[in-house]
Amino acid sequence: MATNRTGGAQRPNGAPQTKVCQFKLVLLGESAVGKSSLVLRFVKGQFHEYQESTIGAAFLTQTVCLDDTTVKFEIWDTAGQERYHSLAPMYYRGAQAAIVVYDITNQDTFGRAKNWVKELQRQASPSIVIALAGNKSDLAAKRMVEFEEAQAYADENGLLFMETSAKTAMNVNDIFLAIANKLPKSESGGGAGGAGGARRLADGDTPRASSCCK
Amino acid sequence: MREDNDDYKFAACTFFAKDHPGETCGSNGLPLTPSSVTIIGQAQRLLILKHPNLCTYLDIIRCKHERIIVVAEVIGKSLKETKSKFSFEEIVNIGLQIANALNFLHKLDITHRTLSDDNILIDSNGQVKLFNYGMNYMTKEGNEVAFPIGIPRYFSPETILSGGGPSADVWSFGIILLELCIGKLWQNLKPGPILRRILTLVHAGNAAERIARENDYYDIYKQVPDYLKNIIEKCLKIYPSERATFEELVSELSCLNTKTHVEIKRVRGLMGCDLHVLYHLWQLAGGDVQAELKKNCLIKNSPPILSMPIAILLDGCTIGGKTGALFDRRIAKYSLDLLKLRLSHISPHDFYPLMHEKRKVYDAVTLPKIIRERDTEYQFYRLLWFQRLLKGYPHTAAYIRAEAEVDIPPLLRGDVWAALLGVCGDIESQYERIDKETPTPTDKQIDVDIPRCHQYCLLLCGEAGHRALKRLLKAWLLTNPQYVYWQGLDSLTAPFLFLNFCNEARAFACLQAFVPKFLHNFFLKDNSSVIKEYLAKFWQMAAFHEPELATHLHEINFVPELFAIPWFLTMFSHVFPLHKILHLWDALLVEGPSLPLFMGVGILRQLRDTLLSSGFNECILLSSDLPEIDIGECVKESINMCRSSPRSISYRRYTNEPAVKEPADDVVIPMETLFSEICPRISLSDFFSLVCQDKCCVIDIRSNLLYEKSCIEGSINVPYSGVQLGQHELRALGLRPQRVISEAVKQKKTVVVASAEDETAQLCEFFLGGFSLLASRRRSTSRPDMEGYFDNDLKDVFEADIDPVSRPCLIDIRYRLQVMSSYLTLGMIKMLFPLPREIAR
Repeated sequence: MATNRTGGAQRPNGAPQTKVCQFKLVLLGESAVGKSSLVLRFVKGQFHEYQESTIGAAFLTQTVCLDDTTVKFEIWDTAGQERYHSLAPMYYRGAQAAIVVYDITNQDTFGRAKNWVKELQRQASPSIVIALAGNKSDLAAKRMVEFEEAQAYADENGLLFMETSAKTAMNVNDIFLAIANKLPKSESGGGAGGAGGARRLADGDTPRASSCCK
Repeated sequence: MREDNDDYKFAACTFFAKDHPGETCGSNGLPLTPSSVTIIGQAQRLLILKHPNLCTYLDIIRCKHERIIVVAEVIGKSLKETKSKFSFEEIVNIGLQIANALNFLHKLDITHRTLSDDNILIDSNGQVKLFNYGMNYMTKEGNEVAFPIGIPRYFSPETILSGGGPSADVWSFGIILLELCIGKLWQNLKPGPILRRILTLVHAGNAAERIARENDYYDIYKQVPDYLKNIIEKCLKIYPSERATFEELVSELSCLNTKTHVEIKRVRGLMGCDLHVLYHLWQLAGGDVQAELKKNCLIKNSPPILSMPIAILLDGCTIGGKTGALFDRRIAKYSLDLLKLRLSHISPHDFYPLMHEKRKVYDAVTLPKIIRERDTEYQFYRLLWFQRLLKGYPHTAAYIRAEAEVDIPPLLRGDVWAALLGVCGDIESQYERIDKETPTPTDKQIDVDIPRCHQYCLLLCGEAGHRALKRLLKAWLLTNPQYVYWQGLDSLTAPFLFLNFCNEARAFACLQAFVPKFLHNFFLKDNSSVIKEYLAKFWQMAAFHEPELATHLHEINFVPELFAIPWFLTMFSHVFPLHKILHLWDALLVEGPSLPLFMGVGILRQLRDTLLSSGFNECILLSSDLPEIDIGECVKESINMCRSSPRSISYRRYTNEPAVKEPADDVVIPMETLFSEICPRISLSDFFSLVCQDKCCVIDIRSNLLYEKSCIEGSINVPYSGVQLGQHELRALGLRPQRVISEAVKQKKTVVVASAEDETAQLCEFFLGGFSLLASRRRSTSRPDMEGYFDNDLKDVFEADIDPVSRPCLIDIRYRLQVMSSYLTLGMIKMLFPLPREIAR
């Protein structure tokens, strides 16, 4: 389903050729759970205590190397406030992966994460890989959502699950790597803009038609 | 003494805020606010206090290592430094002035708590002012500093035991009066024994007498006149509730006061300027608060090696770890010589600018704003002039607007913005009446947003800032029940709070005036059509002013919905840091509600080269973290674009502007049509003025039949049906059109495409008005056929000669474009023609 290109460059370890796959990934979750912080940690290795709120959405890219493939993530980091909900389909439509984030110190955000998972299962591409991230694991002392509870929920719904901390960087790269590993990277996936494998947001649907806040 | 007054207008003292021990994170996972930031936030209120017996606070600065510097007015000498003895008459007068100041502070719920002989200043005229009376207030009763505040010998017994309230000031005041009458108390005693002595007073019947005895001053005390003794004893009651209040003391002392206050002639010239202005100018002229403190050894730089960790030897001796004093009671005075020298050539006349006088033009006007804001002399003139204008507000509103167009002095920005937004009236009581405390469901969202809103700003990141921002948002939401809280509203409110930190009511009034003007209906629960229209309009402006770029962005499907929502929803306040927002909004407030559209284009223009050479991913990355945008340049460009564009092309349906009255000014089209059009429409009257000024080139794309029936003089006919759209070149339009358009592009004319439209039949009669306008202006037109046409009664022409469907003749002005020759790519030609997009493809 992904965009496959055969990279011509030799890898330093002498591996003959690497596939380059592009995936669109979307982050969803209640506001202030740390979506932007996770992305920032993953993409730039930074952490801002006072990460400002995201309005609409932000876009970033990052590349990770697996054994024989280079995976390029095109990440849409969405606004968390419920009011911006109507924008979300614009971003998750055509996404091959999603990370649904909640804050382990806040039970409500876990409930909201479950709703996001439901919505993705209903509306997004059927083959979408969904990961559940329990963020702010550095604040374990103030934990309100038990690890087991979330793990059980993730197992039930076939989600990847990790507790992460954008602040300490714990599990941040790991969750993205886990997603990269789980994503199908078959050669038969079809080229750019192939069915279901939207290479970028705007492909297929005109965002104009579907756009904007409600 | 006299000289002293002139040379030193203000001074600074410095101390260290407390370090947070151990724990660095609060319960929300965010770092704890440093004490120094809390102090700065708290101290802002002190900066606006004005009272003849209080030294005005001028600045609170936060430096490295949690150091705080307090800059405030000074006069004369402190009571401690004054060697001469005062007569009882003078003591009453001094007492009255101190009591006045403290009465004023108590009314504002500020407790001094640190009153002592070294912070009461008196000048040669007998004028008394309290210095640094806000120590207790800004440090939250000393909680934000690690040292005890105040001098023990002025502590009341309850202060020693539990902190003490306002009446502790009455005790200290009593001790001051007693010292003035009989001499310094408890000299040569260390703080410990002094505190013990004060506590033993608890058992004394008459504390004042007991103190006098203890200090061997009883004989002198006996000679103190009864009226003074009486007052002192009223202050030195052991029980705080028994002590007199300052209100009572003021009235008693004023009865006793015999010394009439000498009316000092107001100083004229530079020294007569408002202290805040002087301090500001002094800084611009190179005054450096820290340098002077270093010179006076109030800031000591010790090499890091000396601040080694403490080593404790086995015998209990300690080595290293010496830290400097946390608080130095000394003050450093600042000389104004430099500033005086800098402004010495300014004639006395210039200090009093007159409204009707023609303004001088200063050379500095041509410099960039940022440089002008740092030019001492330029700011001096601007400040005087603006102060004058602001005094006359609201009658001077038009002058203020005209001057603000040039620039706004940073020191007065809050006032000027309020004036530009038309804020006046009793805003305080209006704000007072709004319930800002009752919890609402929105609070949860506000609470998570505020701690991450412009937190690099010292004022906004402290507790005081958080609380004020929350109050403002709640007040605004309550006052505007039609609106809801959208993330971003916090950022929008921040600049107003930043500029009016101690005047929340005005910050609120500004926000209240700003939203209807610039963001009408943006915060509705369902704002989709408002935002869609705004973005569509923005995209049309981009196509108009940056056609090549717009063509490229259209082609890669880089649409504003993906990046520009935060730009406009927050008027860029979520996108840029505060110092940039201030300059952006300076222009916004002057130019009006269509400027933001052009600012958006201005930003794209700065990124133009990168955007043109980038694909979708790179473009969206670039726009999501805007690199160094030059705001000065962006503002300049956007103002140029805004002013050079016909007004009607930025028309929006969802504004608060009065509806268009003239049909000829009308550009209302259905929303669906708006979203499908790449280029903006122009109103008839704007079109006519372009035609009359020979600033446009008209392409009429109706069929040649219709064209031959009637047309605009000088227009060229390129029938819609005959265009080969597969062609990439202008040539495809035909030879003559190619020549005419190329010529027009060279002359930077606007290209207007006129076409037939279904609804135009009904609009026809509206257009008649416009036509007669054109006709009257162009009566002397040289083309014979047109002459006849225009001279006829237009109504007749329409009614009689042209069938109803083709009536639209010249008027369906659909598109209007500014086209540069090199930009005429296929995309542009597509844009020129109002084809449904599927056909164009």
